[in-house]
Amino acid sequence: MKKGVLKYRTSDKTVNAVCACIAIGLFLILWYWGTAATKLGMMIPGPIEVLQAIGRGLFGKVGRHSIIAHVGYSMMRVMVGFAIGSLVGVALGLLMGWYGIAEAIFNPLFRIIRPIPPIAWIPISIIWFGLGEDAKIFLIFLAAFSNTTLNSMAGAKSVDPEVINAAKMLGASERQIFTTIVLPASVPSIFAGLQVAISSSWATVLAAEMVRSSEGLGWMIVAGMNNNDMIQILSGIVMIGIVGFILAIIMRKAEEVLCRWNKSGE
Amino acid sequence: MSMEQERGIESSIIECAGVCKSFKTPEGEHQVIKDFNLQAKENEFLVLFGPGQCGKTTMINLIAGFEKVSGGSLKFMGKEITKPDPSRGVVFQSTALFPWMTTMGNVEYGLKMAGVKKEERQKRAQNYIDLVGLQGFEKSYPVQLSGGMRQRVGIARAYCNEPKVMLMDEPFGALDAQTRYLMQEELQRIWEAEKRTVIFVTNNIEEALYLADRILVLTNCPATVKKEYIIDLPRPRNLVSPEFLALRKEITGIMDSTL
Ligand SMILES: Nc1ncnc2c1ncn2[C@@H]1O[C@H](COP(=O)(O)OP(=O)(O)OP(=O)(O)O)[C@@H](O)[C@H]1O
Ligand SMILES: [Mg+2]
Repeated sequence: MKKGVLKYRTSDKTVNAVCACIAIGLFLILWYWGTAATKLGMMIPGPIEVLQAIGRGLFGKVGRHSIIAHVGYSMMRVMVGFAIGSLVGVALGLLMGWYGIAEAIFNPLFRIIRPIPPIAWIPISIIWFGLGEDAKIFLIFLAAFSNTTLNSMAGAKSVDPEVINAAKMLGASERQIFTTIVLPASVPSIFAGLQVAISSSWATVLAAEMVRSSEGLGWMIVAGMNNNDMIQILSGIVMIGIVGFILAIIMRKAEEVLCRWNKSGE
Repeated sequence: MSMEQERGIESSIIECAGVCKSFKTPEGEHQVIKDFNLQAKENEFLVLFGPGQCGKTTMINLIAGFEKVSGGSLKFMGKEITKPDPSRGVVFQSTALFPWMTTMGNVEYGLKMAGVKKEERQKRAQNYIDLVGLQGFEKSYPVQLSGGMRQRVGIARAYCNEPKVMLMDEPFGALDAQTRYLMQEELQRIWEAEKRTVIFVTNNIEEALYLADRILVLTNCPATVKKEYIIDLPRPRNLVSPEFLALRKEITGIMDSTL
């Protein structure tokens, strides 16, 4: 009985989609009712005004750019920093997992650096790189790097030793074992890290833009605050949520495709 | 026995003399293999028959070269075994397939590592996929296959490197009885088609008697050879012939007294 219920809850995609739509709808109605019928209306605008503002700004102008362009600026920074950071993080993490000496050297450093949130580096990044793109990319690099390394290390360490023996028995060299066994076997753990890394990178770019920038979603919110424009602030927040949500979905899809072998047959 | 030794000197592929293996554990040295002697001859089907946890996998790991002996001498074609080699194929108790590779990917892996060109290696891999009866499943991942099919992939993968010796560690131990019988017949067919020296580990007496040219009965841990049986019943074997049943009774008796 219990088992049946559980199966129903986790496997039925349409039920999940319907539930999601209902929940979002209810939230919007509550927001609408709250702003239209209570004192909340004096503090924040209702959903219709915000959605209209987004609709107008999407291809129109908020400041000097359209909302699409602001999203593009933020995304560009994330993509560059995320790509470099996760590449370096995955490579270093796998090496740490595979070669004990690399772990012995780098792991203690990581245990100290990892708990520091990337935004704590904002002042240093500005002193080092100035106010331009480099400082922001550096921060996102840190966010992606620190979140992928330890997961990749855990992945490389947990490869089944029998599978490694099988590769040796079939004549694979040490280097071939690393590239053809350790790397693909670690892909599920690597993705667990990339998921955290992409959300952390997205959060970091907004923080960096809020400190200093002339475009991007982070700028949009801060500019809204400076002009006392509540609608612009909320438009920015809604867009941040939507883009973050889409990024997470893209990552999950990529994982699904690359880790098909890890799930039982369809 | 003296005749056996003569044959051994002629064409012994694996020679194992006084091999010992112990592991360091928190409680001290744990001896798993003690004074183990065996000689495997060309194209012989040799079965190591021993009780659970007696050190069978450890013995296979030593012959494969995954582990080093603690004492004695273990030779493959006259040379001390120091590391794994494609000429000694292994079929694992746990299958140890590469789960992110398809059937084809698994079977062609050894050739790919050796730098054989794609077209050539896929042709050769296909040959062994057909031999183990997996045509049509070339693109399936291990999770999509049944237990018996996974072991077929494991057998094809080891065969594809054309090893001199096949080491099989309870390959059918995790299968249900019906599939297990089927796989025993299949393995016999494959071995008849592609003769190799096989060292096959099992704790199932019928499986041992069905497949073996020769059975070495092992003692409980530390493992050593307790007794040798040469099985010259005609193949394929009749599981209910009087000779089969008599041997089965005798060997089972011996096993029980070692427990
Ligand atoms: N690396 C190791 N370190 C310590 N002890 C080990 C190690 N490998 C095996 N052993 C011990 O050696 C003994 C024999 O193990 P082995 O796996 O060789 O037995 P087996 O006959 O293959 O067992 P099974 O029937 O379960 O397959 C066991 O008691 C096991 O705990
Ligand atoms: Mg075993």
